Amino acid sequence: MRDRQTDVLIYRRYDLTTEEEGSSTTRLVSSDRDLQLVAECLVAGNEDETRRAVANALRSKEPLHVINSCLIPGMKEVSRLWEIGSYFLPQVILSSDCMIAGIELCEEKMGHAMERKAKVVTHTAEGDIHDIGMQIVNALLRAAGFDVVTLGADASVDEVVESCRIHKPIMLTGTALMTTTMTAFPRVAIRLKELGLDIPFVCGGGAVNEEFVTSFDLGIWGSDASQAEGMANDALSGLDWRQLRSKWNG
Amino acid sequence: MNLTSTMSYNSPEEMMFGFSLKPVTTRRGLVIGGGSVIAEVVPHPRPGSEKTLDTLLREFEKANRDVLERCINIGTPNVVLENEHVFQMTDNPKWGKKIAEQTVKQIDEYSDKFGIDAAYRATIADLRKPELVNIRNSERTQKVLESFAACAPYADILSIESIGGKEIFDHCIIRNDITGLLFAQGVLGSRDMAWLWPQIVTIARDHGAIPGGDTDCAQANTAMFMAGGFEAKNLSQSLAALSRAIAAARSLVAYECGATGPGKDCGYENPIIKAVTGLPMSMEGKSCSCAHSSLCGNVTAAVCDLWSNEAVEYHSMFGGSTPEVFTEILSYDVASMNASIALGHQREYQASLIGSDRYRSMHGFILSPDNAWAIGKALVDNCDSYYSRARAAAMTCGELLLNDQQFQFTAFENEALLGYMKEMESLPDNEDDFISLCIDKYSQVKGFLPEAYGL
Repeated sequence: MRDRQTDVLIYRRYDLTTEEEGSSTTRLVSSDRDLQLVAECLVAGNEDETRRAVANALRSKEPLHVINSCLIPGMKEVSRLWEIGSYFLPQVILSSDCMIAGIELCEEKMGHAMERKAKVVTHTAEGDIHDIGMQIVNALLRAAGFDVVTLGADASVDEVVESCRIHKPIMLTGTALMTTTMTAFPRVAIRLKELGLDIPFVCGGGAVNEEFVTSFDLGIWGSDASQAEGMANDALSGLDWRQLRSKWNG
Repeated sequence: MNLTSTMSYNSPEEMMFGFSLKPVTTRRGLVIGGGSVIAEVVPHPRPGSEKTLDTLLREFEKANRDVLERCINIGTPNVVLENEHVFQMTDNPKWGKKIAEQTVKQIDEYSDKFGIDAAYRATIADLRKPELVNIRNSERTQKVLESFAACAPYADILSIESIGGKEIFDHCIIRNDITGLLFAQGVLGSRDMAWLWPQIVTIARDHGAIPGGDTDCAQANTAMFMAGGFEAKNLSQSLAALSRAIAAARSLVAYECGATGPGKDCGYENPIIKAVTGLPMSMEGKSCSCAHSSLCGNVTAAVCDLWSNEAVEYHSMFGGSTPEVFTEILSYDVASMNASIALGHQREYQASLIGSDRYRSMHGFILSPDNAWAIGKALVDNCDSYYSRARAAAMTCGELLLNDQQFQFTAFENEALLGYMKEMESLPDNEDDFISLCIDKYSQVKGFLPEAYGL
């Protein structure tokens, strides 16, 4: 914006100058009309419509086929729209809700739970009640096919360690808003090490910073919730906490 | 409770930084909103210092001393020191009490020795996480109230950032759900404050402290931070702006229950509250970049009475410790505002603050005094219920943005705002109908207990 009288530049609205005309039209994910409808409902983030479309598709198709041919590809399309800036986080969360609702219907039809990629334990630090970051991580990981065991807000160090001991997750995440609560993270890490559980421990949120998280073993700093899926996939592929830290931090 | 039905300020032009219609005087004689702006400095302890009471006392002792020392060294005539409780200070009310006791002792020492006018604000942490406890009836609720009582004998000003409705808000903000925001902030947040604040006011009055105010940090600031800057893709700026307007309807409840101001710094809704109540308000902007970024760093100073840094963690910098550095930054910020008053140039100074941000962002636009006043007017003109005024504030906020000839929207934001407006228009007019709709819609949200809000 320029002052009209003096032509002094006060600020520049980069959001206006950089907005791209990315296509938000859903790409074709299936040539089958029923399956394409499921994908479109999911991409639109309409949970009720997704349920109806999935129920309709299940009349003539196997549940696993519905999952693999339209729910998962539909979620990939949502990720694409997020990456190009057509979608913001809430659209992704709404689609994630659709994905979970659709999979539930498929699982009902199968009579058993679908196999998830792996377990991830998530929590918000002891003494910290700010858990919106954890909720976002949960939604994104579930949509990506992980089995999320969430311990919620103000999860004690004992509770986190015990959960890791029982579930043996491929990755643990911790979020905190306050610097005076993030000190629970190294206490968790030390206890895990004592138990021989070298689980990559991704910490992020609010005032949590890279310097702090990389100061203790197992710690990997997550700068944004959107990194959770990529980190979990890396952990699943066998990267240990040092390799994850090397890839995502520094 | 009768909801506010009139504006304290007859027009936005009457609003000016440093001046409120109803100044408050602290027990140490500091007048806030009486003709000058005062710095409010908020140091924050380093991680690890919360381990024991002794380490925390030592951390605050050092930070408070740094603030007061820098004030003396650069000639700052008056200051408000705020301690925002970290979890441990409210979870152990004796800790909060000891730190309050220590802080006012330091203030009194500097006041006696140098004549500096200073005051202490204690902000209690709201530990009542709805997903964890019944917010009206739990051990955590008792600890919050005990902490107020423990700090009240020492603090000049008491405040809180209450979190009623947060369970619904968190669910809805990441789902683009404006209906949910109206319910969470406008209805649940207001109802919780109407339950909590009479108790805070009683405690404050019993001990001669000022019941300052409440902010919607837990909700509207979450929205604003998620919306972020120009490159962020987490949340639309429109939804954050609407959330701010709703926050004004919510935070007003504290003053309707007897809070007298100064409202707390992180309440970016405070310009709207000031227009309605005429009470002094603390604000923050450019000089709280140590805590977070914003797109309204100057305009928020336009009608402030206290000017704050929000929170700065204790560290060393070239220019001294962070509390020292931010004391100096804030001191010179307010000195220039006060010099403009002394020189009779305050209108021009205020115009510069507003012009800097008015069209930078939606928050900058709606917090410009004329728009803040207009939102306040919509709020008092629709005072039938918490819901009706929250909805009116949000609708007016949207209309102001959409009808302004100079405000430029991205295509995304324009579409988003039109969508929220359409959704709000479709909602019931009656609060009971709206509450029924929402209880049904959000009954499955984790931690939502209608009875915890008297529903």
